Amino acid sequence: MKIKLGIIGVGGIGQLHLKHALRLGNAEVYCVADTSKSALQAAKALGVKNTYNDYTEMLKTPELDAVIIALPTHLHLKCARDVAEAKKHVFLEKPISATVEEAKEVIAAAEQNSVKLMLGYPMRFNNHFLKLKQDIENGVLGDVENAHATYVCAGPFVHRTDGHSPAPVPDWWFNPKQTGGGAFIDLGCHIINLMRMLLGEVVDIRGQFGHRYGMDFEDSAMCLARFTSGTVAAVNVGWYSQDYLLRLDLHGTVRNASVEHMPPASVSAAYQMLRRGITTFNQPHLDELTYFINCIQNDTAPSPSGLDGLRDLEAIYAAYQNRISL
Amino acid sequence: MSLVSLVKIPSASSYPFREAITKAIQRVDYRFNSNARKVVIKPNLCYYWDHTTGQTTSPQFVSELIDLIRVQTSPEVEIAVVESDASAMRCKYAFRMLGYEKLAKEKNVQLINLTEQESTSVDVALDGNVYTFSVPKIISQADLKINVAHIKYTIDPVKLTCAMKNIFGCNPIQKKFKYHPYLGEAIVALNKAMPFNLHLIDNNIAAGVQPRKMGLVMASQDPVALDSAAAKIAGLNPNKIPYLKLAEKEGVGKRAYVAVGEPLETFRSLYPKPTFRMQTKKRVKRTLVAVGLGARMGLE
Repeated sequence: MKIKLGIIGVGGIGQLHLKHALRLGNAEVYCVADTSKSALQAAKALGVKNTYNDYTEMLKTPELDAVIIALPTHLHLKCARDVAEAKKHVFLEKPISATVEEAKEVIAAAEQNSVKLMLGYPMRFNNHFLKLKQDIENGVLGDVENAHATYVCAGPFVHRTDGHSPAPVPDWWFNPKQTGGGAFIDLGCHIINLMRMLLGEVVDIRGQFGHRYGMDFEDSAMCLARFTSGTVAAVNVGWYSQDYLLRLDLHGTVRNASVEHMPPASVSAAYQMLRRGITTFNQPHLDELTYFINCIQNDTAPSPSGLDGLRDLEAIYAAYQNRISL
Repeated sequence: MSLVSLVKIPSASSYPFREAITKAIQRVDYRFNSNARKVVIKPNLCYYWDHTTGQTTSPQFVSELIDLIRVQTSPEVEIAVVESDASAMRCKYAFRMLGYEKLAKEKNVQLINLTEQESTSVDVALDGNVYTFSVPKIISQADLKINVAHIKYTIDPVKLTCAMKNIFGCNPIQKKFKYHPYLGEAIVALNKAMPFNLHLIDNNIAAGVQPRKMGLVMASQDPVALDSAAAKIAGLNPNKIPYLKLAEKEGVGKRAYVAVGEPLETFRSLYPKPTFRMQTKKRVKRTLVAVGLGARMGLE
């Protein structure tokens, strides 16, 4: 039987999830909720029949099995708790919450209500990173001594090179109390999560944070972290660049390995869309949703879990506290 | 014919912009009104892209312009740097992110969001039609109005963003996209409603199809002449830009100009223009969208 899926928040990343969820073979998008009329109209245009202005009304739908939460970070705890209490499984966008304390409450809410909680970390479903994990486990790289991860882009701002018109940036992005921080929590959580998958838990982490744009949040971060595997990694993230780059380099005693997660060139992207209806860049987003639905159907625990989200956030806050001044 | 000056920014100077601006305005015979007490400077802020992208005016350029104004008028002159909210940009964030808050503190000037200012409604007759716009009082009451623009490509049929389009940014209405169906007419009408005394171009970094160091400062008292020269630099034919024709017809300025200073051709060759490949890709994309394949191929 198909899982009935709801989505709370269908702007930005929520709309991306919606488009992918509509392609799922083992689930149907039953309803969506958003406070924005235009976002709901866009969802309707994509074929969603049931739309709600108030997500609490949507949660009263008995047929609903699971909910994707794609809201601003400061709303994660309340919404995740409401969804869990309504006995719906939770797929929560990263980061799990704006603070470590809230992250613990999100996990507790899922546990107390016996619902599944999965965090949205698509990079974990990128085939190249999964192959890298296998190679590390099989000793192909030897001992990974050092790693270097870079994730730079324009963050919440539109890339000048996108060819799209500039889009407004919601006020909450400019408020670190609502986001939990800046570029490091936004992009760094992807990298920390990925490195934890490959290299073990974070033992120590220190960070240098940049404020090129003079805002109350960091727009760049350069962190050094040591993992339980013994690997020391440099993590470089930033919202300052008009050029998207997500790259991971691992340097082992036997071999080096590099993986990039980049949007394909426009011609290649158009060809991929025509042929398969999805680009290689977006495939991990679809795969993570397919996996989440499988976890519900097979009653297995999803990964990345709420605990993963908490560990990522703990590492990020440790870096915020252990500041290096250069 | 109006004078348009072109000056190469000196590389070995402590105040490269000030030197270049001084030369540029001398070459167009502009003299600051020494009695000016209220000065308005309109830079070109576009979204939250910093000056290294070539999309926005460098705060360093404005800073050195402020020094020059104070020397030429009075140290006590009141200077306001003005911009308005746009469809996707909020001044309160742009001023901070793009270095203008820091500049305002250092130079003791005001930062004004025109969207939050008192305005008066003005009717502008244009080509048999009447357009109504709001003109911020801070602009209408200023003794000296300086426009600091940038040469950029923009949507068809306007094609060019430069001095005249930058004045369009003084329109306090936030949702400026509503003017897109008649953008050329709106640009001309606003230039008629808010004539500026001096128009400068900071093209140290050119935007073009990709940023490129260009080191150009331009000046003119005539925005139409300045935009015509800028169009040439960007590889566009000014006679095929409808708003320039309309502006000339409406008496905003003249398309014919005399270029003084560095040869225009020097900068024309430096400006990053679309390649044949880029133009072909654009045409293919347009065709695919027109035949209904856009959404399926992720082009929309």
